[in-house]
Amino acid sequence: MPAGLLSIKLRCASWQQLATIYKRDLSRGSMFLRASAPPPIGTAVRIDLALPSASVIVLTGTVAQHRTDPQRGSGVELELAPIPSQTIWLIESALEAESKRRQTPATGVATGGAPGGGATGELPAIGQGEDLVAAEDELIKALLAEAESLKKLNPFLVLGVGYEASDADVRAAFGELTKRYHPDRFARYESAELRQVAAEIFILIRDAYRKLSAETGRAQALAALGRAPAPRAVPLRAPTPPPVAVPPPRPAARQPTASIPPAPSTIPETIAIPKLRVPEPNDTSSAASNAGSSETPTARPSQPLPIPPEAQRTQPPRASTPGRSGALPTVPIPSPPSSSQGIPRVPPRTPSQGIPRVPPRTPSQGVPRVGSDPAPRASTSQPLPRTSSSQPLPRLDAPSTDHRPVLATPPPVLTEASDGNPIDQLLEQGKFDEAILAAKVMAKKFPSDRTYRAAVEVCEGLRYLALRDRLEAAQRFESALEIDPSNERAARELADMRRQATNERKGLLTRLMGKKE
Amino acid sequence: MSRIIGIDLGTSNSCVAVLDGKGQPTTLAGLDNERTTPSWVSWSSSGQVTVGTRAKRQAVTSAAATVYGVKRLIGRKVNADDVSWFARLAPFRIVAAPNGDAWVRIHGQPISPQEVASHILRRVRQVAEEALDEPVTRCVITVPAYFDDAQRQATRVAGQIAGLDVVRILNEPTAAALAYGAHRVTGGRRLVAVFDLGGGTFDISIMSVENGIFEVLATGGDSALGGDDWDRRLIERIVDEVFDSHRVDLTGIPMAMSRLREACENAKKALSADRETVIQLPFLANDPHGAPINFERVVTRDQIDALTKDLLDRLEAPCRRALEDAGLTAGDLEEVLLVGGMSRWPAVQAMVESIFGRKPSKGANPDEVVALGAAAYAGILAGDSNDAALLDVTPHDIGIRVGDTGFAVVLPRNSMLPVRARRLFATTHDDQKFVSIELYQGDSSDVTENRKLGQVVLEDLPPGPAGSTRVELVITMDVESIMSVTARELRTGLETSVTIRPSGGLSQREIVEIINRRRQETSVVSPLPMEGGMVRVTTREHAVTRPSDEKK
Repeated sequence: MPAGLLSIKLRCASWQQLATIYKRDLSRGSMFLRASAPPPIGTAVRIDLALPSASVIVLTGTVAQHRTDPQRGSGVELELAPIPSQTIWLIESALEAESKRRQTPATGVATGGAPGGGATGELPAIGQGEDLVAAEDELIKALLAEAESLKKLNPFLVLGVGYEASDADVRAAFGELTKRYHPDRFARYESAELRQVAAEIFILIRDAYRKLSAETGRAQALAALGRAPAPRAVPLRAPTPPPVAVPPPRPAARQPTASIPPAPSTIPETIAIPKLRVPEPNDTSSAASNAGSSETPTARPSQPLPIPPEAQRTQPPRASTPGRSGALPTVPIPSPPSSSQGIPRVPPRTPSQGIPRVPPRTPSQGVPRVGSDPAPRASTSQPLPRTSSSQPLPRLDAPSTDHRPVLATPPPVLTEASDGNPIDQLLEQGKFDEAILAAKVMAKKFPSDRTYRAAVEVCEGLRYLALRDRLEAAQRFESALEIDPSNERAARELADMRRQATNERKGLLTRLMGKKE
Repeated sequence: MSRIIGIDLGTSNSCVAVLDGKGQPTTLAGLDNERTTPSWVSWSSSGQVTVGTRAKRQAVTSAAATVYGVKRLIGRKVNADDVSWFARLAPFRIVAAPNGDAWVRIHGQPISPQEVASHILRRVRQVAEEALDEPVTRCVITVPAYFDDAQRQATRVAGQIAGLDVVRILNEPTAAALAYGAHRVTGGRRLVAVFDLGGGTFDISIMSVENGIFEVLATGGDSALGGDDWDRRLIERIVDEVFDSHRVDLTGIPMAMSRLREACENAKKALSADRETVIQLPFLANDPHGAPINFERVVTRDQIDALTKDLLDRLEAPCRRALEDAGLTAGDLEEVLLVGGMSRWPAVQAMVESIFGRKPSKGANPDEVVALGAAAYAGILAGDSNDAALLDVTPHDIGIRVGDTGFAVVLPRNSMLPVRARRLFATTHDDQKFVSIELYQGDSSDVTENRKLGQVVLEDLPPGPAGSTRVELVITMDVESIMSVTARELRTGLETSVTIRPSGGLSQREIVEIINRRRQETSVVSPLPMEGGMVRVTTREHAVTRPSDEKK
């Protein structure tokens, strides 16, 4: 931008204010700003308008006139450059959503145009008590949404650590989460339901911590995800043939994945379903998910009970089955990440699912299940095979009928480790538009591969995030997940956004209560 | 909302603290300027209750109606070993309630330890209200980490009777670590052990402190081992000596026992610093001929050590087990913190040094540090401070009975709270129609030695050969040690749940009765003499003035 560009940052404290600005100023293509020292006419101006939702709209214009507004004092009149329709659409949809949410006609605002720069409070002042209750309810909803997100993630994502995290990293991540989500932090609120939901979330977090706090645990979890620990061998990627028709672009193209997590190899969870049948793959997952019981070193030898079911207490390695890794070998293709394109898992799945194993597809197809809706599972879960087992207890933990707050093991999503993935690189460099284009190109090339379409959505979502438009970004990530439920990046971004939302709710609630947060 | 106070309800002494204006925990002293209140309660024949130093002084003359060490009785059964010992030497009667709980009998009236403790809590609350000059209704009460759920719940009930809203029950070693560490929230992870040897209980907790996160890795202890046991050895020795030389059994003379107890406790305290001291008790009792026994004896530190060697040895096993549970060796620890009056004893400190290989730290006042920690935690719960978080664990295994005496663990000890654990079980008989699941808490593999928490029955099981019907048991425990248990039959999905909050030993009705009875009586709680011999007596509900009656 040419020197002399004046950069102004404005903030809308409320939707009402935005509506006012929109109707009064933007629709006319001009805007009045108070200024004690008006810049010369013709100065180029850039306005960063931050919305209540923390998204930012960028407007450009030039100083057209110095004038004195009867209500607001002296200042300048800006002539705005044509506002991109996208921005207009954004503002309108945001206002609409807001008005629906409030169930009061947002248009009411138009009449109250007077406020000008007046920043109304963030919530209508209906009275302290109602505010608190409403805020508590919002926080509960936010927490429930977060719990849902967390359940979909693998332990590394739950804690927010990389796959090569060290003990200290894991502890630090856990410490941060503890400070935010430990039930003690919610003890100050009245609602018992709130504290209960907080406890649920924390249970998910601490189970992830238990799994990952030691090197051995991390190795197991990685194995469960189908990744080799430490050396993320790029070569392994190479083969990934899955897309039968589409051989190669794998290495480079395929891995745009950072955002496009290759199909979640296995839905161990799905493996979970036919658990009875396939004891091994379950071992690790159930044992791992059984954080609660297998947590301490205190070894309790299984009691010689008339009751066979010993299963859970022991660490995975114990049974004959090596757990996931056991499943892997069946895969013709070298395992980890890419291969995880679901190929490996195919074998186990087939019997249970009877899903046409289309190599590339498989994972994604399997994936929907991951979303964890009871229905499909229930249908596929076999009645406990009496015959099957002398093997006492199928560590059946994932209940088929799922309304209990279960330690559901999240779908192992393979991701990351994207070295040399061009789309990822573009994303990292912040060249979102190019990334989107590249992803679209890939999508066109492999029309049957959902992951690319999902990647497009993810890239767009990331771009919106960069524009601080959370509403849009969230929508994009959600649609990415709909297209390809195994997309780890989208799940993670969504979880992060929900986390942020929860924090905001919590901050608001705490401020209402007059405490510091 | 009123401020939340932190209460250390100790076996021998209780203390109360709160966060001051700058967010620092500070102990509170009432108008009598005492920072700690002896955990003593005395009843006059007319029913007036005295608490604290006054009660302790009254103990000499009305020994049978003065209760001390009630923490050893709260939540416990009368047939426990240490309770029996306690009963033998205590000047007041210890009796069994209908459910087997240990109660006391004063002036012919059975009184629950919850009620006794509630008097102490009320007194402590009054101290706080005097110091803060504002009403106090909410508190955090500390208990030994090794207390089981029955003991914890009984402590809560005591608070309830005292009219307090017990926001949380906090473990003493964790509270102490918080008080110690609150000032040093520097980066870097520190592994510490908290060695808490109080009047009646022993706790050892291994913790990791990093960036304000206090994570308990393992905890162990002995909830029937404390300074009182050291006293008891000396008391027993002297009782034997007096019997040998004068043929008088002092245990039948409450006043003599009371004097002797106090003398032995003072001697022990003196011997922490000196090598020898003298116990002098003139006119302790009369021998069979009617001649007075003037007891005088030199007591040395070595003698006490010789008498208590086995007690010292009992300190070691819980420490080793806790280290093992935490997966650490003594060398991994950076510091050992001492808490509790008895930790002042030289031989105890030597034992700590030998177990952990380093000299223990004695920075803070071991008598007040727990209350300070409780106050700091109260601040965290109230939202007044955000710089620390406590991650505590459950101290005992929780499981169910299998077979006659088998104990199958579902939720292992040292699990970080909140936690969810599950385990599968199968039927033992063909076509079994229902399964009765009894929950126990304890560390013995023999279920009869563990404490029963509750029961849940799952009925209408589908028929099938033994072992084919599988029931999944899920136990969820939250930070307040409230447990919810769900049993689910896998084939049909049939399930049943129960929330278990172990009874505090008194039914709700009994609690309400006690509170009502209290309302009607006015109790003299350490009355302050005013001018003209008038005394202002305040209970929660009334303010009454009555002539002082000092001589009680």
